[in-house]
Amino acid sequence: MYKLLLCVRYLQTRYLAFICIVSVMLGVATLIVVNAVMSGFSTKLKDRLHGVLSDVIIDTDRMDGFDLQDVNGKSLTPDQIIQKIKDSPAGPKIEAITPTIEVFAILQFNFRGQMLTKPVRLIGIDPEGRASVGGFKEYLVRQKDGSAPPSFELTPEALKQHEHNRRQRERASALEVPNVPMPKALVPDPNAIPEPDEKAMTQDMPVAKPHGVIPGFTLAHFRFRDDKGVVVEEAALKPGDDVTIFTVGGLPGAEGARMRPVWGTFLVADYLKTEMSEYDQSFVYVSLEQLQQLRTMEGRCTAFQIKLKNYETDKVVVADALREIFDPRTGARVATWEEHQGSLLAAIEVEKSILNLLLFMIVGVAGFSILAIFTMIVSEKYRDIGILKSLGASNHGVMSIFVGYGFLLGTVGCCLGTAMGLWITDHINEIEMFLTKVTGKAVFPRDVYYFKDIPTNIEVSSVVLVNVGAIAIATLFSLLPAWRASRLHPVRALRFE
Amino acid sequence: MLVAENLRKAYRRHAVQVPVINGLDLEVKTGEFLSIVGASGSGKSTLLHLLGTLDAPDSGRILLDGKRIDNLPNRDRDALRNRTFGYIFQFYHLLPELTTLDNVLMPAYIGHSVMGWWKTRSKWRARAMELLTRVGMGHRITHRPGQLSGGELQRAAVARALLMSPRVLLADEPTGNLDTATGDEIVRLLRELNRDDGVTIVMVTHNLEIVKATDRVLRMAGGVMTEDTTAKKPTFHAPLLAAV
Repeated sequence: MYKLLLCVRYLQTRYLAFICIVSVMLGVATLIVVNAVMSGFSTKLKDRLHGVLSDVIIDTDRMDGFDLQDVNGKSLTPDQIIQKIKDSPAGPKIEAITPTIEVFAILQFNFRGQMLTKPVRLIGIDPEGRASVGGFKEYLVRQKDGSAPPSFELTPEALKQHEHNRRQRERASALEVPNVPMPKALVPDPNAIPEPDEKAMTQDMPVAKPHGVIPGFTLAHFRFRDDKGVVVEEAALKPGDDVTIFTVGGLPGAEGARMRPVWGTFLVADYLKTEMSEYDQSFVYVSLEQLQQLRTMEGRCTAFQIKLKNYETDKVVVADALREIFDPRTGARVATWEEHQGSLLAAIEVEKSILNLLLFMIVGVAGFSILAIFTMIVSEKYRDIGILKSLGASNHGVMSIFVGYGFLLGTVGCCLGTAMGLWITDHINEIEMFLTKVTGKAVFPRDVYYFKDIPTNIEVSSVVLVNVGAIAIATLFSLLPAWRASRLHPVRALRFE
Repeated sequence: MLVAENLRKAYRRHAVQVPVINGLDLEVKTGEFLSIVGASGSGKSTLLHLLGTLDAPDSGRILLDGKRIDNLPNRDRDALRNRTFGYIFQFYHLLPELTTLDNVLMPAYIGHSVMGWWKTRSKWRARAMELLTRVGMGHRITHRPGQLSGGELQRAAVARALLMSPRVLLADEPTGNLDTATGDEIVRLLRELNRDDGVTIVMVTHNLEIVKATDRVLRMAGGVMTEDTTAKKPTFHAPLLAAV
């Protein structure tokens, strides 16, 4: 009973203990805030990394796509491959699957009279099928809020812009004086076949559907700071503007190796805005069918995007089952989205662990301050220890007082530190704005991170771990002074001046 | 009741050995109020520490009711100090963080677990209040040692020493830090406790005036008893203070 009583009384009356509490409190609060911010960044980054990737991706290194054959040696079409996947043990666990073509390309477009080119990742998709595996429609700037399925259709405004561009081009070309000698005027031959009337010929023919393209938002916009230092985004490509895409094509089979350059013109239909700079500045979506035609690989694809019914429980089973179908020796690769982004995710985790380790040293420092202060307190309490022993207190009892005292200090420090850490985490954006205002320098430059606010995510397990660790350190560092106190000879302690 | 046989104790500091008790023999009778006088450094306080198991002799034996207590395991010696012996020190030695009441209750706190204390707390509080009232400190229970005078501190220390109804009260110069009048008051209180409750008291002092109130006076010099003077015979052997 006396151990509890004295622990509490020492806590109430020893002002030195306050320093220990503050040390632990600051350490715990810092750890909680840093963990919450790191976890926030990590979670948001994971969401975005997962964003445009489906749960499981099957792709191939072959330029002409998968080359799976049936029993008769006939190449399977994407639909037949999908059926084969659905018939496999992985089939019942799959919610949706869609074929895609992914290839590197060059995007060229005219901006204020200059032809700009950018290297891009060209992805041919069936918009509805791609939306069914997730991570597509919600990132389309124009179509994300609409109820209609996503498409490469152009809006009437975009078509108007296209028409406006066309007329401008025509006007500009009409003004150009061709540098060619004028043909001599010939007397018309009365027996000659008359020139075809183009207007009459195309009158009842269906108008060709424009090829839509969805480029990444950053790809289609310039980002710069104006005179006031405010970040401004200006569209380099408006909906309806035309772009030329250059890539490589080839014939399937053995001749597939004979690559040749191919290109096509597309009209901007929408933008992809994932807030992941890597995707926004390199991804360009076009229709799967059109890309197949452009690359002369009809009935073939280079990847399958798969959405699982329950990713966490089925990812391993499905990946293993798919590896049975797609032989890695043929250049096919089956990977979950985490495996795809493995190195980046691992880097985030390593960063978090190292930061935690470094920050835990703060609590370690708090532990040393406890050690120093406890040694002082024990020296101050020599006589009390003698008194307690003369009244029958055991060595173990005396040790328990100081270990309990350390535990209590750690607990109080942790409670205050947790409250402080949670409060700071909750108000981190206000604090950041205040600091930016006071120092005049942006603590969290939003244009660098693409986040509107500092992302935070409080993980209960992490808070508990930090608290347990801090209490353990406080208790551990009080052991040595407590042991010294317990070994004190009562007579010497009573005579201590 | 309490017997010391051929006790020897020396303190060592580095290679130097300072003998303090040199083959001392002593017998304390039940209900006796014994005083030990001697010059500073004669070994009085060391003898008291040895008798009360606060320290262990280098050689010799200490017997309580015929049972050797100087070589008991720590746990049993702790229990003896908690229940059988009561200490009164020259410098009172109250814990500054606690109130007078909590200081008096400290032996009970030490002797009980949290649950044990919870079950018997009202009984112990009543006992502490009774003792504090008896020593004239009933009105200062919420005060801390820093707010009390020397006499009040010593009276509180006496109440603390009596809480567990000890069989032997060991008083180490209880008046050494008090003025004559207050010192006399404390000795009167001890005398009263000895007479009314039959508590055996061993008091160490170098104040030859106050020893007149005791049953027997022993003189110590050079770590041995040099003189045994019976000031007056014990007049009252009341039964020991009833166990709480």
